[in-house]
Amino acid sequence: MNSTCAATLTRDFDHWTGRFVAMASPCEVLIDEASASLARQVLDAVSSEAWRIERKFSRYRSDSAVHQINQSAGSATPVDDETANLLDFAATLTRLSEGAFDITSGALRKVWTFDGGDRVPSQQQIDEVLAVVGWHKAEWRRPTLRLRAGMQIDFGGIGKEYAVDAAAEHVEKIAPGLCCLINFGGDVAVRNERASGKPWRVGIESYARAATAERVVQLARGALATSGDSRRFVFRDGRRYSHILDARTGWPVRNAPHSITVAADTCTQAGTITTLAMLQGRDAEGMLKATGVRYWLQ
Amino acid sequence: MKKTSLCLVLLALSGCAGVQPWERDVLARPEMSLDTAPLDAAIDDHIYFSKEASSGGRGFGGGGCGCN
Amino acid sequence: MSDKDTFNATLAAATCALLGSAVATPVVAQEEASRWSFDSTLLYYGESDDRVQDVSAAVSAVRDFGDERKLSATLTADTLTGASPSGAIALDRPQTFTSPSGRAVYTTNAGEVPLDDTFHDTRFALSTSWTQPLARLYTFSAGLGFSTEYDYTHLGANLSLARDFNKRNTTVNAGVAWSQDDSNPVGGRPVPLSQMLDVGNNSNKRDGSESKDVLDLLLGFTQVLNRTTVLRVNYSYSDSSGYLNDPYKVLSVVDPLTGDTLTRVPVGQGPDGVYVFESRPDTRTKQSLYAEVKHAFGKPVLHFSYRYMTDDWGIDSHTGEIRLRWPLGEGYIEPQLRYYTQSAADFYRASLVGGAALPRYASADFRLGEFDATTVGIKYGHDTASGNEWSIRAEYYQQSGSVPQQQIIGNQAGRQQYPDLSALIVQFGYRFKL
Repeated sequence: MNSTCAATLTRDFDHWTGRFVAMASPCEVLIDEASASLARQVLDAVSSEAWRIERKFSRYRSDSAVHQINQSAGSATPVDDETANLLDFAATLTRLSEGAFDITSGALRKVWTFDGGDRVPSQQQIDEVLAVVGWHKAEWRRPTLRLRAGMQIDFGGIGKEYAVDAAAEHVEKIAPGLCCLINFGGDVAVRNERASGKPWRVGIESYARAATAERVVQLARGALATSGDSRRFVFRDGRRYSHILDARTGWPVRNAPHSITVAADTCTQAGTITTLAMLQGRDAEGMLKATGVRYWLQ
Repeated sequence: MKKTSLCLVLLALSGCAGVQPWERDVLARPEMSLDTAPLDAAIDDHIYFSKEASSGGRGFGGGGCGCN
Repeated sequence: MSDKDTFNATLAAATCALLGSAVATPVVAQEEASRWSFDSTLLYYGESDDRVQDVSAAVSAVRDFGDERKLSATLTADTLTGASPSGAIALDRPQTFTSPSGRAVYTTNAGEVPLDDTFHDTRFALSTSWTQPLARLYTFSAGLGFSTEYDYTHLGANLSLARDFNKRNTTVNAGVAWSQDDSNPVGGRPVPLSQMLDVGNNSNKRDGSESKDVLDLLLGFTQVLNRTTVLRVNYSYSDSSGYLNDPYKVLSVVDPLTGDTLTRVPVGQGPDGVYVFESRPDTRTKQSLYAEVKHAFGKPVLHFSYRYMTDDWGIDSHTGEIRLRWPLGEGYIEPQLRYYTQSAADFYRASLVGGAALPRYASADFRLGEFDATTVGIKYGHDTASGNEWSIRAEYYQQSGSVPQQQIIGNQAGRQQYPDLSALIVQFGYRFKL
């Protein structure tokens, strides 16, 4: 997917706002207390990190690591440290979710397209695809990954949150102590508190009326991630099929909340908890309470 | 006749226009709301109601007064 | 699922391995407490030539309960002083009138448009409304309104229902409003088309209050046209019945040749000319069609609206309004322009001709005549660091009308026929949350 590769910087009354598009989402960086040139530097660092990760883990780009793995058709592929770390992380999540979360469920996109339309695949179609879904069917021995023919991996479930944390880490290296908020399409991270002590105000999008903030969360530092179906879903016969698929069954998770927002130390942790909670369906709130994080449901 | 063609125009408009829920960023800005300054609107309506023969249009008037 | 501590520890460790470093500081996040939003304004309205002056203050409070339930209340107080044209024509000689209370007289200088100067009034108004979703895609709203001034009270209620279609790009809403207004004029209600009598003579005045009932129906349609444009179209129907006269307005009865007001000799104190109280029908049906568009050109937002109104009194009006909100620093600047034109009511008369049969209805109230009005204004708003906004608005309103040629008689041609109006409006506003 081509992003326009242009990042704009504007001055709002007490901070800089950098905007660009990456990972099919509107992204922004809010920078507190910095000169114009430093703000530009930080924006360029964040946007280039976002685009780097997007290019590297895109399923569509022929030069991406993910594409190469998906085209390997049964042969072993060596991967670099970053990809290896993500695979290790994904494996942990698969274990924590008892298989509901699985990066090999990318193949299910062949039969599910979440565009607000009404196409629902048949059980037979799903069963056919499920033959190539399952992390246990892959051989992962760092640094080599071997997938069976037809298997596809997709970092969509954790990629954006990881990118936020990676970008925040990158900013911390080039401008230690800088107060900024990084927001990639609703996944937010703040490393350092603002000098004024005031928190950033983040609106949680209302499920009912998209782009109207229902609640405002005051984030002084840490991260927020939101998982929800207001943007991508299939609607048929009066039923709404969320885009979050249970890799064990191939069907979207049922009776999950419309949207979950979680606050955690890192965006990766926040995103993981929202995704794993959504996969609990009806028991999402129970799981959220069990982890002890601050959360908001809709 | 005029009313029928107006209704048809409105129905036609509703079919072909619109945005996806995730494209509502501009529309969500407070200044894009059709009721962005309700107090200003109520005051203007009241002034014009007391100096002119027409009233309302936008919604229900806030209340009567002895001024007309 | 493993228990809490194991889960959290596993996740934290996995994240640390992924990101290559531990984020030492824990998250600090909390939900902002649900707030009340307030909007307050202070308004000054002043017409030229010492006519009406009004100072008003209004406060509106909205409590958003989330999930689309809202409660709002608005309280307004305004003080009106000054004078308004009574409907009598200007003459080359001074004129004396009995005041509405029937207990005194007032005079108008030669060449001036007679203004009724006993017009001091304080009005309080309170309106509230409740909005909530009724079912998925349906929103319901109900409201109550009340206002009181010394010679007038108003009580109203409204209900409306809205339904969203097409991924909430289209909204259709229908509403109904009822109101009952009670009018208890100073000095009593004059019998329509009866003559203005001497001080102390109340034989043509009726005691007690009279009421006016209004039924309003509204059908509205809102449509998102594209990412930057939204359209609203409303059709309204309004039916008023009851006492629709203005009890303080009169018409001059004039000589058919000279066009000057017929003279009269008062017994004691009283009018020195022949004036009759106005008479309007006791029903009025109005319909209007209103459309507005808001379009964002990047940051600036353009707002355009048009309204057409027609009623069974023969009045047609067109209103066009345009505003452009332009971001400026920590706020915005918003110039605005409004143009209004209306035709005269069928029974509008600049004056009545002596000796001719009285028409059934007649009024010289300038607000029912034919005129154009223009408003030019500008508003500046400024956002404070805490998310509140203060604003200042200034407008200049100018009305100029004309009397149909066939209604201008004799000497009237040389004088100011229509009491043109110009007013300055200044408004301060402050919006804040608690």
